[in-house]
Amino acid sequence: MLQGIRKNIFAILALLPAVLYLVGFLLIILFTVTRYALSVPELEGTGFPTASNFTELAGNTEFTSALVRTVLFTVVGTPLELLIGMAAAFLVVREFRGRGLIRSIFVLPLAIPAIVTAIILYILFDFPGGHINDILMGRYVFFPFPLLSSPVDWRGSGFFALAVSLFGKVWRDMPISMLIILAGLQSVDKDQREAAATLGASSFQTFMKITLPLLTPAIATVLVLRSIELWKEFIFPFILAGSYPLLSTLIERAYHEWRNPHEASAIALVLLALIVSSTILIYCTLTWLKKRLVRV
Amino acid sequence: MVVILFLVSAPLFIMIKYSISDRSSVVTGGAVIPLWPHQPTLEQFRGLATMDRFAYSALASLEIALLAVAISLLIGAPAAYALVRYRFPGIMVLATFLISIRFFPDIVSVVPITETFITAGLINSIIGVALVHSLLSIPYVLFIAMGVFEAIPRDLDEQAQVLGAGKLYSFVHVVLPVALPGLAAAAIYVFLLSWDEFIFAYFLLVFGDLSTLPVLLRKILSWTPQHNLLAALSVMLSVPVIIFTFLVQNYMRTGAAAGAVK
Repeated sequence: MLQGIRKNIFAILALLPAVLYLVGFLLIILFTVTRYALSVPELEGTGFPTASNFTELAGNTEFTSALVRTVLFTVVGTPLELLIGMAAAFLVVREFRGRGLIRSIFVLPLAIPAIVTAIILYILFDFPGGHINDILMGRYVFFPFPLLSSPVDWRGSGFFALAVSLFGKVWRDMPISMLIILAGLQSVDKDQREAAATLGASSFQTFMKITLPLLTPAIATVLVLRSIELWKEFIFPFILAGSYPLLSTLIERAYHEWRNPHEASAIALVLLALIVSSTILIYCTLTWLKKRLVRV
Repeated sequence: MVVILFLVSAPLFIMIKYSISDRSSVVTGGAVIPLWPHQPTLEQFRGLATMDRFAYSALASLEIALLAVAISLLIGAPAAYALVRYRFPGIMVLATFLISIRFFPDIVSVVPITETFITAGLINSIIGVALVHSLLSIPYVLFIAMGVFEAIPRDLDEQAQVLGAGKLYSFVHVVLPVALPGLAAAAIYVFLLSWDEFIFAYFLLVFGDLSTLPVLLRKILSWTPQHNLLAALSVMLSVPVIIFTFLVQNYMRTGAAAGAVK
């Protein structure tokens, strides 16, 4: 044992700082968040392990509506991210002139900081005078169709505020989903599709029976990674939907406005539980689906 | 295709357009906002150049990012080397565990970290933000650097050791120089991550005078400023990111499938 340590002393010394740093922080985070969530500011009476933060949240309409919004945001957003990413990937997977350039342009959203994207949307969807309102009211020469008679207060409506946030999020993440699907598409053998075509499969059949099943690992990656990102999305709703919090922005509000780190931590734990269970659920569903699809 | 190209580039155009807009093209008093400013001007950028808070924030962003690069590479690179070169049981599990710490949701950890840092006296400080940014970066450094070290043939360090070099010596003088270009990509990645990072920087700096550029942008937003000022600040924040992203684009592309892109 001692000899083993001495033999690998270099490896141990090289690994130790990283392990201590990451695991140390992780333990501090988990410990602190649980301690706060299970205690209340005034320690008299209820004492340490108390669920009162959670029971209080359950009766708080601000929390329940944030929960509903978050679920909707993720349930609508995750398939949307997948579809947009797939569409973009199918567009650039074919060989054509200038493909490299187009691909570079497609990666552009990733090169802009999320907060900047949020600010640009903030400006575009401003009320009463913003480009989007001006366009929809038909005030430009290139689009002289007044779809609206008066400007819409985008940030003042829960539906529009969250829709714009989701648009920003999907816009920014499009390259990531695209790159993952692209990598998956390129690993699907051309021969397999050609063989199917030779055997008389229509292009729709080839897609459904060959490309799609072989693409499932890539699709699974996109769904799992994107759903995690959507659950915890903060910047877009924070800038664009301030009056309609999701769970993530409600954590900020609980911490800064209610000045209550205990409830903030309780919300954080609820969010963490949601993320973990949805990831497991997606993973299991996809494994099951894959078994069904690949059964030949 | 045309639609996507338009959607992808339009926000960039809008940002640049607003940043060079003169006052009359932004504050129109109900009239239509022009698609191109009446009189393009650089006055917003000149304004930023003379604004103390901007200079301080840019400097703070730079210091934090460089500090985060230094900390995460110093801690991450040797660990990545050990994870690739030593094969004792369970080491791949350890590597996977360390790398997947990045999936831990930042918004869940921000309150406990802020509370801990308040006790430790680390809020409103450069070092506090840099420590958190290093925490976020180390898993990425491990991931990128493991790939880099794996690509370097094992013979190289073994020969150095046969010739009498110690393990530390062969790592520092033989392997590191070869790994430098790959590690530079990791450094750029960390720099960008820290430069863009908003959530932790915001929680740690919101009530103080110190700001990073993203936090300054948010603080300015609450005074409902003119849109051209917001846009000019956004341009200044984006320029380094756009340049660097295209430099490390290939690394991002190969890493995307493995979830190495946030």
